[in-house]
Amino acid sequence: MTHPSAARAGLRDGMSVVAGYIPFALALGASLGSAGVDPLTAWLSSPLIIAGAAQLVTVQMLGAGAGVAVVITTALVVNARHVLYGAKMASLVPSWSRRDRGLAAYLLADPMFALASARARVDDPPEVPDTFRAYYFTMSWTCWAGWLVLTGSGVLLGDVLPAALPLDVAAALTFLLLLLPTLEGAAAKAAAVVGGVVAALAGGLPLGLGLLLGAAAGVGAGTWVSRVSTPAQSTRQEQSHV
Amino acid sequence: MSDLLVIAAVGLGTYGMRAMFLVRRPRSVHERGNTMLHLLAPAVLAAIMLPALLAPRGTVSFGETGASLAAAVVSVAVWRRTRGIPHALFAGLVAWWLVLALVAGP
Repeated sequence: MTHPSAARAGLRDGMSVVAGYIPFALALGASLGSAGVDPLTAWLSSPLIIAGAAQLVTVQMLGAGAGVAVVITTALVVNARHVLYGAKMASLVPSWSRRDRGLAAYLLADPMFALASARARVDDPPEVPDTFRAYYFTMSWTCWAGWLVLTGSGVLLGDVLPAALPLDVAAALTFLLLLLPTLEGAAAKAAAVVGGVVAALAGGLPLGLGLLLGAAAGVGAGTWVSRVSTPAQSTRQEQSHV
Repeated sequence: MSDLLVIAAVGLGTYGMRAMFLVRRPRSVHERGNTMLHLLAPAVLAAIMLPALLAPRGTVSFGETGASLAAAVVSVAVWRRTRGIPHALFAGLVAWWLVLALVAGP
């Protein structure tokens, strides 16, 4: 594939993601705008964080008056999967310059990672570095621009939407829909069930501690299930290269 | 202003996590750490989602909780068929509105 056609494919894939994200990003923007934080500040989470779930957690917890350390810790826990995204992306672009990899890391949110991995799976090994770079950056900047515009529109629209509209329910459903694709295997399901139930039971704790408790219990339960279900594998392969 | 600083700190931390392996040279990740990272997303997302779904406006009530649970069931069903977040979200919100209207009565 040539350089311009890779960029065109990136633009096409990026636009289709943006189109699919319209209701989600509008609802998320409206939730950001109505969380009790200055709306412009809340929207700035889009270019600064670029990760819907973490943006919502940060802004909602700030709006609810949670402690700074708890807000930052919780949001980073929510985003911990991005470490894996970076690790996998590194294996796809070993020849990129440090500058390109630094910029790629800024843009490496959920849809960008999903599209980049899907493209690398089709072209195995990934295309020559130049064309894959053209694809990745065109696709990522398209998603980035769409995310900023859509969440910004949601923040503005949130002000004129009647208070009866279910933005809080939309936020809960959005998290549910982000959760569903992660439920692969018994360990992940155990992590989700235990994490959700413990967080719900500990909901009365202050400063969002119930959430952290739920997350820790969920990871603990999932780790236990993965050890019980694949004991041979975990002892055979102690380390894996990325 | 302090809110913006917190958001910027989360952004910086998120960038650090994305860049940890991507910008530095590839190195080995312990298998157990890898497993725990995989499990973080479902654990955290469920821990955020379930309390919010059970008490949509901060309190558990028959109408509100029933409506949001119905919305969740419909969203999951539509997502299983379409694998699309927008469709599933829209269908769930319609279900939420219908159940709430039914509970409230004419």
